[in-house]
Amino acid sequence: MLALRDLRVNYGAIEVVHGISLDVAAGECVALIGANGAGKSSTLKAICGLVPVGSGSVQFEGRDITNASGHAIVRAGITMCPEGRQVFPQMSVIQNLRMGAYTRTDKDQDADLGRMMDMFPILRERQTQAAGKLSGGEQEMLAIARALMARPRICLFDEPSLGLAPKIVASVFETLAQIKAMGMTILLVEQNSMMALNLADRAYLFEAGRIVMEGPAKELKSHPDVMRAYLGH
Amino acid sequence: MFNRVKTGAFAALAMAIATASAFAADKKLTIGVADALTGGGAVYGLPQANAVRMAADEINTAGGIKVGSDTYKIDVIAYDDKANPTEATNAVRKLIDRDGVKYILGFCCSGSTSAVASFIGNEKAVMLVGNAAERSITTKKIPNLVRTRPPADFTGQAAGTFIARKGHKRIAVIGALDVGFYAQYVDSVERELKKVGSEIIAREVFTLRDRDMTPQLTKIRALNPDAILVVGYVESAAFVYRQAVELGMNIPRYGFTSGSEEQFLRVTTSAQMEGVWDLRPTELDLLSASKNGIAYHANYTKKYNASPSPSSPYAYDQLYVLKAAIEAAGTVDDTVAVAKAIRALAIPPQVVMQYQPVDGKMFDVNGQAYTSNGAFQWQKGKWVFVEDLPSDAKAYSQFLSTLN
Amino acid sequence: MLIEILQQTINGLAIGGVYVLIALGLTTVFGILGIAHFAHGSVSMFGGYLTFFLVTSQGLPVLAAIPIALVAGFVLGLLIEIVAYRPVRHANHINAFIVALGLTMMVEGINLQLFGHEQIVIPTGLSKVFRLGGVTVPELRIYVIIAAIVLVAAMMLFVERTKTGQAIRAVAENRDAAILMGVNVNSIPLIVFGISTSLGVAAGIMVGALFAIAPGIGEGFVVKGFAVLILGGLGSFPGAILGGTVLGITESIAAGFISSAYKDVIAFVVMILVLLIRPQGLLGRSP
Repeated sequence: MLALRDLRVNYGAIEVVHGISLDVAAGECVALIGANGAGKSSTLKAICGLVPVGSGSVQFEGRDITNASGHAIVRAGITMCPEGRQVFPQMSVIQNLRMGAYTRTDKDQDADLGRMMDMFPILRERQTQAAGKLSGGEQEMLAIARALMARPRICLFDEPSLGLAPKIVASVFETLAQIKAMGMTILLVEQNSMMALNLADRAYLFEAGRIVMEGPAKELKSHPDVMRAYLGH
Repeated sequence: MFNRVKTGAFAALAMAIATASAFAADKKLTIGVADALTGGGAVYGLPQANAVRMAADEINTAGGIKVGSDTYKIDVIAYDDKANPTEATNAVRKLIDRDGVKYILGFCCSGSTSAVASFIGNEKAVMLVGNAAERSITTKKIPNLVRTRPPADFTGQAAGTFIARKGHKRIAVIGALDVGFYAQYVDSVERELKKVGSEIIAREVFTLRDRDMTPQLTKIRALNPDAILVVGYVESAAFVYRQAVELGMNIPRYGFTSGSEEQFLRVTTSAQMEGVWDLRPTELDLLSASKNGIAYHANYTKKYNASPSPSSPYAYDQLYVLKAAIEAAGTVDDTVAVAKAIRALAIPPQVVMQYQPVDGKMFDVNGQAYTSNGAFQWQKGKWVFVEDLPSDAKAYSQFLSTLN
Repeated sequence: MLIEILQQTINGLAIGGVYVLIALGLTTVFGILGIAHFAHGSVSMFGGYLTFFLVTSQGLPVLAAIPIALVAGFVLGLLIEIVAYRPVRHANHINAFIVALGLTMMVEGINLQLFGHEQIVIPTGLSKVFRLGGVTVPELRIYVIIAAIVLVAAMMLFVERTKTGQAIRAVAENRDAAILMGVNVNSIPLIVFGISTSLGVAAGIMVGALFAIAPGIGEGFVVKGFAVLILGGLGSFPGAILGGTVLGITESIAAGFISSAYKDVIAFVVMILVLLIRPQGLLGRSP
């Protein structure tokens, strides 16, 4: 479904992703794990058009979307739930959710809105509040729900657990599992490798802008190098 | 046949030589105009510059200025001083230093004119001031400066007498009182009012950019005055008249604005203006104009495709004053002699404004000329000249001499 | 006294409405692009001049000239964005600042060239005056106030209830997140400039009908517009609405009860006092 080939990303003169290739098949949940600054988030941003691709290609459902503009990529069916939540702070919860459906023109948007609030009851409770007034965990739920409102064919999650209390992290991952169970294709970037590997079908391990290991999540989880470096055993 | 052609050719050649030598005897006198050609003051400055150009054309067509055996054709350079003191100083410096000009005309606006007046005394040049009404311009007795327009308070004195005679007891003033000469006008009015026991009960201010006078007028309305007096530029004053009616103030309105019908009707309806008095120098008014005035109006309208502003002849008259003075002094180079000749001049026959001579001369010892003042009233869409205001040029001239 | 206060409040409402419309345009542009769009006042007055031209030279009825001027304003806004601001969008902020200043002088110059130095008043033929108790209101002022309310309400509805309006807010609040929602961040500035300029033109028409347009008037309004932004809170819509109304009425009451000579000064003193107590402005978000 999503295929990256020899992708390079640079910020000015500094290259942060040095030619990686990865695939995500439909219905799959793929995790990118690795240390801070290994190039995982940059890869996601390059897919979404937030940062330019230096060289290499991004293919989505057979179409080349390398360096397409951000809004075109969303319309193609890729939505990202960004790092640090990035809700629209002055807008209400409902308005945030509706912004998620910005590219949609179908009539089911209101129904989806209801579904999201069923899934996240806290959002129904807070629906008229400014999103900036929500707690970190609530904002994460809002960001996830907002991403789903686009009815993406693939959903990218960038560090969904970052900066949240452990209890909240657990519930975020429960939610992600729920979304996975709905059949959503997921590409997840996560520093909490254990949680990520528990959730994912497959995973890629990033080190300094390169992919150093890939395979089924279960295999990576039990690989001695991964265990030592990232799982804290 | 051949002979006749030859003769004809010779005749033509002779004619050409004669014409060329006639040209050679014509010299050029370059005069400068410093005036507001753009910006807020351009309403006054641009018509003044036009008027000088028109006078120059007329004088050139009529043969130019004759000094001894020389005939001078006038050439006009006009610079925009934007009614701004700095710009005016620069414009005049450029005229004197770069263009070598000795005679500078125009000067519609008080701020810019005062700035130039402060240094013109040191220059080998003669400055003729037009519409600028600030009194202090002619209180310094600068020998090479004269002004065709009387100071605002000369008119104010006459206006005060007029209003006092109407028997109003409590008068509210609204005006551009941050402008010196408007404040002086009001001070003069107040002096006359006090003589008959009347008083000014409010002095409300508007600035050049204000167009909403309802706050000031609402305040005045609450004071219940017998009449209001509006002093200021027509652009703002027109709104005072309109908004006074809109606020339901049905009291006599006096003013000192010198605005034309056209200028007022852009802002107000004729009904809103009905009955308003304008107490001002008579200036150019077709109802009271001399033959010169009527001709001036016609020529200007034809030349510029617009009516002349009522104050524009102040500048037109400057050039005829200059012409008469240069011819009397017999020199274009000796500016001291020309300045002296201006002070000694009787009123030249070609001027448009109706000047009141002081001791038989157009300008008094201060270099100030006086025109008659008139009471004009808006009647059915027009300014109508109703009567001369009681003005005493000689007495005012003496008063002016005591100031410095 | 009561009548005076009431009358002064009504006096200030019309000009307050003009301030609000100008400030709404400024605040939207500032919110999206971070640009202090100084030329806004002069551009707005151009719209007033245009209406005057259509009415007096082309013989159009005022009600026909106004929509044409509003549409022309929209198009002009697009042009300003593309020609003036787009090229410096990714440059240092000082570049946009200088472009804004240059644009102001240019538009002022164009206005002067095209329409001359004499003040113009858009003829409306509306000279009726309503009297209620001791309070008087000219009908034209009532229409101006109503028009301002309608335009502000329409703008609020547009921003709150349409996807494009929400996208404008979203871009202002978080540009990257807006891209992730699929918002085309290249077209949003265009729309913003179009709408802002249209609102400005509406304000220009009001000034031209109620008062007069002359060289320099637009610059005065843009200064007041920025004062309203700061008073109301940068980037806040309700702030601009409240701020503009408050400034208009304060000016009027200050002139009526304190001193007309210091009308503008008093308005700015009030602004400074408000900012001393609430540095973020009346309705601004606290930092």
